Amino acid sequence: MSTTAAPGRTTASRGAEIWREVTHHGLFWPVVALLGLLLACGVASPGFLEVTVRDGHLFGQLVDLARNSATPLLLALGMCLVIATGGIDLSVGAVMAIALAVSLTYLDGAADPSDLGTVLTAVALGLAVGALGGAFNGAMVAVLGIQPFIATMILMVAGRGIAMLVTQGQITTVSSPPFKTIGSGYLLGIPMPVVIALVTFVVVAVVVRRTALGMFLESIGINREASRLAGVRSRRTTWTVYVIAGTLAALAGLVYGAPTMAADANNIGLMKELDAIMVVVLGGTKLDGGRFYLGGLLVGAMLLSTLERAVIIFQLPSQTTPLFKAVVLIAVCVAASPTLRAMLRRTRRAVVATPAPAEQVAA
Amino acid sequence: MSADQLVRPERPTASVVHRARRALGGFDRRMLPVLGTLLTLAIMLGVGQERYSTDRVDFVSMKLLSNLLVDNSYLLVLAVGMTFVILTGGIDLSVGAVVALVGLAIAQMFTAGLPLAVVLVAGVLIGTICGLLIGVMVQVFDIQPFIASLAVMFLARGLANVVSVNSLKIDDAGFSALAAWNITFGEGRTSWRINASMLVALAVLVIAFVVLHHTRFGRSVYGLGAGDQGAAINLMGLRPARTRIWVYTISGTCAGVAGVLFALYTKSGFNLTGIGMELDAIAAVVIGGTLLSGGTGFVLGTGAGVMVYGLIQVLIAREGLDSWWTRVFIGAVLLAFVVLQRVLAVRRR
Repeated sequence: MSTTAAPGRTTASRGAEIWREVTHHGLFWPVVALLGLLLACGVASPGFLEVTVRDGHLFGQLVDLARNSATPLLLALGMCLVIATGGIDLSVGAVMAIALAVSLTYLDGAADPSDLGTVLTAVALGLAVGALGGAFNGAMVAVLGIQPFIATMILMVAGRGIAMLVTQGQITTVSSPPFKTIGSGYLLGIPMPVVIALVTFVVVAVVVRRTALGMFLESIGINREASRLAGVRSRRTTWTVYVIAGTLAALAGLVYGAPTMAADANNIGLMKELDAIMVVVLGGTKLDGGRFYLGGLLVGAMLLSTLERAVIIFQLPSQTTPLFKAVVLIAVCVAASPTLRAMLRRTRRAVVATPAPAEQVAA
Repeated sequence: MSADQLVRPERPTASVVHRARRALGGFDRRMLPVLGTLLTLAIMLGVGQERYSTDRVDFVSMKLLSNLLVDNSYLLVLAVGMTFVILTGGIDLSVGAVVALVGLAIAQMFTAGLPLAVVLVAGVLIGTICGLLIGVMVQVFDIQPFIASLAVMFLARGLANVVSVNSLKIDDAGFSALAAWNITFGEGRTSWRINASMLVALAVLVIAFVVLHHTRFGRSVYGLGAGDQGAAINLMGLRPARTRIWVYTISGTCAGVAGVLFALYTKSGFNLTGIGMELDAIAAVVIGGTLLSGGTGFVLGTGAGVMVYGLIQVLIAREGLDSWWTRVFIGAVLLAFVVLQRVLAVRRR
């Protein structure tokens, strides 16, 4: 009898085990939140979940959400790698502004802003400036050994001033259809920002996960000195990571600013570093460093833009968005905190423990 | 043997020099960042005196000092609160948003017809609650200070937007009287004044100095920054958990006070005030010689840091440079001080 019962029990316990594994996964709550939000939006606004093809382009609210996720995703990609090494990059918003300012100023001064070669040069210049900013951050962190928070804060403070210097305090506007394509064009019916973000995501994911780089990043995040002794070139690796983050921030700046073609040094990328950090946290990566989940970034970025859209769909004033960001951030952090887990376990044990004596009496 | 004898006569002098150097070094290392700040301050004042003095008026004057204090009183209060948090090795990103929230709340409470005293106390308490929230998240739920204060920053900013997205004018008679109150000394171009927000800011600085350097709580704050999660101060019989919650509550309260001072300064509340103000406060603390890793720093240095910060703006305005140069210069000064701190830290090791 026991032999026939055993398989059943193991399946049940395996089911429970899988359930346990799923619910304990870092992404469980973010995914639940995302699906819940999407569902709520779908109920509140019929047609929200519809995706149609118009003029050969994908069209619909979901496509818009994906488009809006592109910038935070690009920023969060770089941020995630930096955080994996135990660092943080606060300068990404300012780097966005500088990169866009440099690109558009170059286009503005060019003979023919619509020339493809000129546009490519402008994009390359923007990315190079981002890489330069990242190299500065990296030098501060990896060579001088300054805390990442303060090292990148310097560029965050000064960066917006630098962007203003580049644009001479003006909002530089240019008209250049090829450049505009980066932000509002389509490739095979998919919005260009989404294509750029996803291609970048895949490239970074392959480089990080198919080479030893990801492991090096994590080992540096856990113990820089130990990984150096173990033969990881921690200085060079850390530096590389900040350069990558700077370049991706520049790319995000170009993608973000391309639809309007206006370099507003004061406002482009304002507070975006915080959005990027939020995406990383929502994606299940702890800020302590040492471990990171790239897949979570997709969920986090979608969650962020869905949240922003949901506020509008529920006809709440759009300026209350930070409030909901705060609530989600606090909820996810508290839900993930070991303290709450311990508290819940204690209450559960207490609940289970109380009826036990009654059963004994009955027996 | 012979070599030893040869060396011996020189020993006493060598040891005196050595001892003097060690005594000086021991003094210097803790004080060097602050001395750097004071030196910077002196250089800036010197440059200002050289370039902007006229036959009639000196640049360096009581008027300059009083204007610096009046214009930066809210920043001084914020930076003092931030010093507590940074000394424990934490960070508080919420203060700028709290300033905006408090300003709008004050405006709204006056519209609702609440008396002046209630409004002022409630304004400060809003900050206290925000700080307490961060403290509980950091201590009880073990969330990094960075992310906890980030969440509260979003929260305060969102709440401020809920109160109003437009600038609200504060035209309460009592509040206006408080904002306008001042004692003027001297006459004409050399006149200077004392006003209420300046007195509040100086009082906060003095209280913070006494608390940090002369109380058991102050020792706990420094102990928490030692980097062993408060294990050492626990062994010393001090209370790490309580202290950690308190420093954030203090920082929040200071943000509340700063919010009131900022409202006094602008006589209005606006939801976009204070964007980046937390960074100004952090920059002032760092320029003032407090190490961001915690454990080392002086709150009076923070006072000097705020002065440096204010002077940069004054010099740039006098020089006729565009305002965005301010941020570039502040970045450069920040860079210089961070590198200085780093060099000192390497020496210590």
